[in-house]
Amino acid sequence: MSIESIQLDKVSKRFRLGAANEYGRLTEAIASGVQRLFRTQSKPVPSRSPDAFAERIEDGWFWALRDIELSIQSGDIVGIVGRNGAGKSTLLKILARIVTPTQGRVGVRGRVGSLLEVGTGFHPELTGRENVFLNGAILGMSRSEIRKRFDEIVAFAEIESFLETPVKRYSSGMAVRLAFAVAAHLEPDVLIIDEVLSVGDQAFQRKCLGKASQLGSQGRTVLVVSHNLAAVANLCRRAVLLRDGRLIADDVPERIIEQYLSEMRSGDGQRQWADDDSAPCSNELRLRSVSVTGNGTDTPASEVDIDQEIHVVVDYRVLVAETPVSVQIHVKDETGSFVFWSANAPSMNLEPDPWFSKPHPLGTYRSECCIPANFLNDTRYFVSVFLGPEVGVLAIRQDSALSFVVHDTGAMRQEFTGSWLGPVIRPRLNWRTRKL
Amino acid sequence: MANNDDPIPPMHFYGPTDAFGFGQLSEIWRTRELLYSFFLRDLLIRYRQVVVGVLWVLLQPLMGMLIFMGLFFVLGTQAGNSTVASYAPILLTGMLCWQLVASSFRDATGSLVNYRHVVTKIYFPRLLLPLASLMCAVFDFVIGSLLLLPVCAITGTSIVWTTAWLAIPIALWLIVFCAGCIAWLSALNAHYRDVGYALPFVLQLGMFVSPVVYDIERLRALLTDQWVWLYEANPIATCIGLLRWSLLGTAPPSAIGMATAASVTLLICFSGLAWFQHADQQIADRI
Repeated sequence: MSIESIQLDKVSKRFRLGAANEYGRLTEAIASGVQRLFRTQSKPVPSRSPDAFAERIEDGWFWALRDIELSIQSGDIVGIVGRNGAGKSTLLKILARIVTPTQGRVGVRGRVGSLLEVGTGFHPELTGRENVFLNGAILGMSRSEIRKRFDEIVAFAEIESFLETPVKRYSSGMAVRLAFAVAAHLEPDVLIIDEVLSVGDQAFQRKCLGKASQLGSQGRTVLVVSHNLAAVANLCRRAVLLRDGRLIADDVPERIIEQYLSEMRSGDGQRQWADDDSAPCSNELRLRSVSVTGNGTDTPASEVDIDQEIHVVVDYRVLVAETPVSVQIHVKDETGSFVFWSANAPSMNLEPDPWFSKPHPLGTYRSECCIPANFLNDTRYFVSVFLGPEVGVLAIRQDSALSFVVHDTGAMRQEFTGSWLGPVIRPRLNWRTRKL
Repeated sequence: MANNDDPIPPMHFYGPTDAFGFGQLSEIWRTRELLYSFFLRDLLIRYRQVVVGVLWVLLQPLMGMLIFMGLFFVLGTQAGNSTVASYAPILLTGMLCWQLVASSFRDATGSLVNYRHVVTKIYFPRLLLPLASLMCAVFDFVIGSLLLLPVCAITGTSIVWTTAWLAIPIALWLIVFCAGCIAWLSALNAHYRDVGYALPFVLQLGMFVSPVVYDIERLRALLTDQWVWLYEANPIATCIGLLRWSLLGTAPPSAIGMATAASVTLLICFSGLAWFQHADQQIADRI
């Protein structure tokens, strides 16, 4: 039995770029109205990667989604995959009815439950009991339904003795448990989940995914947005790939993930930008290139040997003299798990970097971070680069600037030849056994 | 479990059902339990960590009444040709109505903006939020109205029981008018925060152009018929005047004034519904 449960007909959504979107002040609305009278052409809007963004910008409007056609049968579990800014969250918000599409129409059969956030509407002054009723009602449960499941919810959250305590006195863990317990007892026909749900701990994440697959097996429709590709592969029966606001592929999850990853690959272990405003830049700094070297050479390579040091090389130009600069890299794996981050701050380094946060004279600089050999596992990693005056203050941010694959050439496979799949890192450590 | 014998729910397409926004009313009716939850939340939050608790509902209009009575008698400007005794219940009805208007306007205007973290995360008919604020104000109004009995007893004023029942439809009229206004105000404030800043001044002004602390008769002596008509076109003025007439037997507003006020009320309510639906389309983007 397959009935259509969600249907999107040529759905597009655009947002206003710039200040009008941020602050809705009457004076500004009038001012921009006056401006429009006298303006023939719109001001060009600076963007970070012009090729992808330019076609989505149109006279001060940004197309977050364009002509999405999608139809989902009831009982399907569908994953939505795409880079940051591809329009995943906008698509979910449109399905959840929070945002109205600019064009096209959205049809949904039955009751929609959306979990874009855990504990939406929790009020700190209210007690646990009151919040269960309020949150349940916001999620779309009737009071009688909540009353029927109340004991279950409380038992699930393990907060029996705190029922009459205001939620502001809860530990954050308790509040999240209670919020999730309410959400888990929601039984909508269509469930929409955002990956923000999975920022919790591992156990919590498993609970979320378990709940989603349980709903799917009951014949309900589930839509998940996630960077956790492993979760998408395990949970979903179908996935769609979004790129720059368009739906470009719709297939079984394995194929979609493969396509997504191949798009993410920048290939040669190096990413360079033109020396002008199209590069990621701030007023003081401009990113020139990011590259990865390994294999004992200085040649950029996207495939590196597990047995060799890996160098992440960041070149940047200082445009304003005496700008202090700190460089930071984030390394994530394919599933989006955060492996580590590091900056060239003295306390984070084996040897202090003399240029850390020092005023830099004009010129081009190269910062190099050395990741020890035999530390990362044999999988693909993504490097994001951040530049700023000090650690934690960002002037330039380049997400997933490039990726590289660590290959195990046999260095750590002398005794064990099975799979190393699973762990994020694979450090070579010291072991000693003594007879006691 | 999704039973197979469950009828298949129909495909529901989002978007406005009609240009006037009447579709919102049926949606509100369907989600009335959520409205009740919001109302309960607002009510509970208001009196958390408050020592006298719900007594504030009675204290607020009572204190307002005492302040204005003191003020007027100290300054010697009696409102109308009344004595202390007859002035007290007149002032109290005015204060109660005004507090209904002022607190519903004030709370409802901020309701969408203050709750934007929810509005941008989940869908429900957004009109529920300002309506819940209105319900709180109505709750205060109903409880506060009980004060009329002891005040009348103490001051020796008699309530006109033959017309007193009319107070209920008149109060409903005032509530419907408030509902129309807050539909306008709350959605406007979500788009233009200026509304929230301007509101306190408008309310201050509104208190003096409505017969809150004086009665309509006094005004009649000062104004020509044309101006009285314009004055009574304000549904708040007319409702307060009518309430005093029904309960205390003062002179009612003119028929033409009432007709105008009724048309104003209808206009604001229908336009408010249509505007709210229009504004609602962009609320998550703009708020």
